[in-house]
Amino acid sequence: MLTPSAMPRPALRHETVLLAVVLLEWLCFHALGPRFGTLENSFDLLRHSAEIGLLALAMTPVILTGGIDLSVGSLLGLCAVLYGKLWRDAGLDPGAAAGCTLALGALAGGLNAALIAGLRLPPLIVTLGTYSLFRGLAEAITRGADTFTNFPASFLFLGQERWLGLPSQAWLFAAVAAAVWLLVHRTTFGRACRAHGFAPEGARHAGLPAGRQLAAVYMLSGLIAALAAVIYTARLGQARADAGTGYELLAITAVVLGGTSIFGGRGTVHGTLLGVAALAILNNGLVHARQPREVAGLLTGALLLLALAAGTAPRLGTAWRARRAPHPSPS
Amino acid sequence: MSAPLLELRRLTKSFGGARALRGVDFDLRAGEVHALLGENGAGKSTLIRIITGAHRPDGGTVAVDGRPAGPLDPRGAHQLGIACIYQQPALFPDLSIAENLALRLETGGSLRRVDWPARHRRATALLERVGARLDPHREVRDLSMPEQQLVEIACALGAGARIVVMDEPTAALTQAEQTRLHGVVRELRAQGTGVIYITHRLEEIFVLADRVTVLRDGESVGTRPAADLTEPELIRLMVGREVAQPYPPAERPPGGAVLRLRRLGRRDSGVHDVSLDLHAGEILGLAGLVGAGRTELARILFGLTPADAGTIELLGRTVRPRSPREAVEMGLAYVPEDRRRHGVILDLPLAHNASLASHRRLFPGGWLRPAAERRFTEDFIRDLGIRGGGPFAPAGSLSGGNQQKVALARWLATGPRVLILDEPTQGVDIGAKAEIHRLVRRLAGEGLAVLLISSDLPEVIGMSDRIGVMRGGTLTAVLPRDATPDTVMAAALGRATEAAR
Ligand SMILES: Nc1ncnc2c1ncn2[C@@H]1O[C@H](COP(=O)(O)OP(=O)(O)OP(=O)(O)O)[C@@H](O)[C@H]1O
Ligand SMILES: [Mg+2]
Repeated sequence: MLTPSAMPRPALRHETVLLAVVLLEWLCFHALGPRFGTLENSFDLLRHSAEIGLLALAMTPVILTGGIDLSVGSLLGLCAVLYGKLWRDAGLDPGAAAGCTLALGALAGGLNAALIAGLRLPPLIVTLGTYSLFRGLAEAITRGADTFTNFPASFLFLGQERWLGLPSQAWLFAAVAAAVWLLVHRTTFGRACRAHGFAPEGARHAGLPAGRQLAAVYMLSGLIAALAAVIYTARLGQARADAGTGYELLAITAVVLGGTSIFGGRGTVHGTLLGVAALAILNNGLVHARQPREVAGLLTGALLLLALAAGTAPRLGTAWRARRAPHPSPS
Repeated sequence: MSAPLLELRRLTKSFGGARALRGVDFDLRAGEVHALLGENGAGKSTLIRIITGAHRPDGGTVAVDGRPAGPLDPRGAHQLGIACIYQQPALFPDLSIAENLALRLETGGSLRRVDWPARHRRATALLERVGARLDPHREVRDLSMPEQQLVEIACALGAGARIVVMDEPTAALTQAEQTRLHGVVRELRAQGTGVIYITHRLEEIFVLADRVTVLRDGESVGTRPAADLTEPELIRLMVGREVAQPYPPAERPPGGAVLRLRRLGRRDSGVHDVSLDLHAGEILGLAGLVGAGRTELARILFGLTPADAGTIELLGRTVRPRSPREAVEMGLAYVPEDRRRHGVILDLPLAHNASLASHRRLFPGGWLRPAAERRFTEDFIRDLGIRGGGPFAPAGSLSGGNQQKVALARWLATGPRVLILDEPTQGVDIGAKAEIHRLVRRLAGEGLAVLLISSDLPEVIGMSDRIGVMRGGTLTAVLPRDATPDTVMAAALGRATEAAR
C-alpha cells in the first residue's frame, strides 16, 4: 500500500527487494554478455516485454479481487487472428481493424465477466473453459493453417519502429501502465477491488457492487489482451492462431513475483512492473550469456519460489520458534 | 495457603511500537472467578493470549501451581489444563458442531475408528450443559455468533480444564443465555476450577466475580475483592474519571412513520408475518432470545437475504431491496452482528474500512482524496475514542471493542434515514458505550429512525422508545419504554405475552 502505517513493517518492502533483484540481474548480464547493455538490446527488451507486460497489468486488478484470468493468452491468439481477418478479408484499414479488434476483445472479456459476475461461477473454472474456447475459435477461423502476413508498413511501425526515440509500443505500454496504476491506487474502484479480494462477504455487507466490479476487471482484461494482440501482430508482422500460447502463465508469474497475493487484496501495479522487468531481463540476458533456453525456465521458477519464500520467511520463523519453545522449562 | 493456580509477574508485550502490556502482575486461585476489566485496548486479550500461548511475552514470568512454566505455547497450555473461550470464536466453519468438539477433545491416533454415535451423544450432553439447544450435526458456518460462542464454551467444559479463560463470553448473549452461563461458571468454580472472566457488562461482576483486576493502558491498577467495590468505583478505576448518566433521554417525540413493514417474511430464514412501524426520530429496540429471528429480520431489510413475503414501505414508497447496495441507496444502514466477518475487513486499514460505504460522498467522481479521508478518519477516531495504531493500521490489529467502533463509524458516515444496529455495543467499554448511546440518541434527535437489536437488556430498555419482542421468527409484542426487564424477558420466553399486549 502507498499509505504510511503505524504497524510494524517488514524491514524491507517486497518492491524494494525486487528492485534490487532487477538491478542485480542487469549488472550480472552486463558483465556476462558484451551486447546485453547496448541501447539496441534495451529496445529489444522493451519490445519483447510489452505484450506480456500488458497482460500482467490487466491481470493485476483481476488477482486483486481474488480472481484469475487464464484465458488471456488464448484471447491474444484469437484477437491476432481476428485482426488479420478484419484487415485482409473484410478489407478494413489497419486502424479501423485495430478498433474492431479491441471491441471484440472487450466482448470476449465480457463473456468471462457474465459467467463470473452474473452467474457467480469460480473464475478459475470459467477462464479455464474460455482458455480452450478462445484458442479453439482461433484455430477454427484459420483452419489451423492460415497465416496473415504482408501488413502495410504503416501498421508495422507500431511494432518495429521508433517514435520519439523509443520503440513505438513502449509509449502505448507506458500509457496503459499509468492508467492501470491510477485505477488501482487512486480510485474507489481499486479500493473496492481490494476489499472484495480480502473479504467478499465483508465487501458485500459494505454495499459494494461486487457484480459490476468483477465484470469491469474481466472486461478490462479482455480489452488489454486485444491490445496486446495488435502489438504482437505488428511486432512479428504476422498473425497466427498459436500467438501468445502460454502467455497467461507468464503474466501470472510476473504479477505474483511482483508481490501481489494470489488470494487477493494485497498487491501493487509497480510491483507487477518490476516483476515483468525481472522476468524479461532474465530471459533476454540468458540469451546474451549464451545459455540454453531451459536455464531461463529453471531460473524463473527459482526466482518465483525465492520471492514467495522471502515474503513469508519472517512469519515462518516466528511459528517455528513458537513451536520449538521448550516447555515447561525451568527459568 | 497453597500456591496460586496461576501467577503472572511483570508481564510485558509490545506490538511494533505499541506497548500493550507494561509489567502486569496477576494471579488466579483455584475455585475463584477472577474478573479482568479495562477499557478497549487496555490489554486484556493480550494478557489472555499470553496465558494460552498464542503470544509470547517480551518479558515477565508465568507460573502454574507455583512452578515456572517458561513461555507457553498452545499445546503446552492445553497440557497444563488451560482452556480459553476467545473473544472471537475459533471454530472450523466447514465442520459440524460435533466434529469441532471432537477435534479439541478426542485424543488418540488419527487412524482410529470414529465412534459417531458416542461423538454426537457427548456433543449433545455438553451443549445441554451450556443451555444450547443445537443439533450437533449442524455446520458451524450456519451458526450465529452467540451460538458459536456457546459451542466454544461447551468445548472448554468438555476439556475439563483447571484454568478456564473467558474473553467476553456474554458479549452477544441475551439475558437468558447469560444467566445460564453464569450457572455453568459457578459450577466450574465449585469444582475448584479457576476462571478468568472478561466482560464489559459490569452488572455481571457483582453477581459472579470473587476478585477483580483492572487494567488501564497495559498496566494493572489493582486487584480487589468484588464485594468491596461499587459500580461507580469500578468505573473510576477503569476509566480514571466519572462516566455520565448512562442513557440519554429522548429530546422530542417521534415523527411520522419512515419504515412500515407488513407481514414481512422469508421462508428459509424462518421470519414470518412481521408487521411494524418505525418512526422518524424513534429508537425501536428489538429484544428476544438468540435465534428469535432478530438478525434475520435485519438481513431481510438490508437486502442480504431478500424478503419473499409481505411488503416494506420506506418513506412512503414500497421497496424491496435485493442487495445491500440497493438498500444503501434507499437510505438504509446496517451494522452487522459479526464484526470480524461482516462488520470490518480485517486486512484493510482503519481509514479505508470507515470510508468503505461512503465512497460516493467522500470521493465524488471516484478519485480517492487522501487528505479528505485522513481528516474524516481523524474526526471519528477522536469522536468515538478509537485506540490503536492510527488511521492506517489494519483493522485486524485493533482490539475487539475498537473494531466495533470502526464498524459503527462506517455506517454513521453514510448519513442514513434508517439505521439498523445489531449488537452495536458488543465488546465496547463503558465509556465508549455511553458515547455511542449519546451519538445514536443525537442522530435520532435529528430525525434518524433506529432499529436497535441488542442482547444487553439494560441497553435495550434504557435506549428504546418502544421495545419490540421477537420470538419464533415473528414479532410477538411491542412494549412501551417503561417496560421492566421482567416483562421483556417474559415476552421473549413466551410467558404472559397476552398480559403484555
Ligand atoms: N496483533 C496485533 N498487532 C498490533 N497491535 C495489536 C495486536 N493485538 C493487539 N494490539 C494492540 O494492543 C493493545 C491491546 O489490545 P487488546 O486486544 O489486548 O485489548 P483489550 O483490552 O482486549 O480490548 P477490548 O476490550 O476492546 O477487547 C491495543 O492497542 C491493540 O491495538
Ligand atoms: Mg479483547
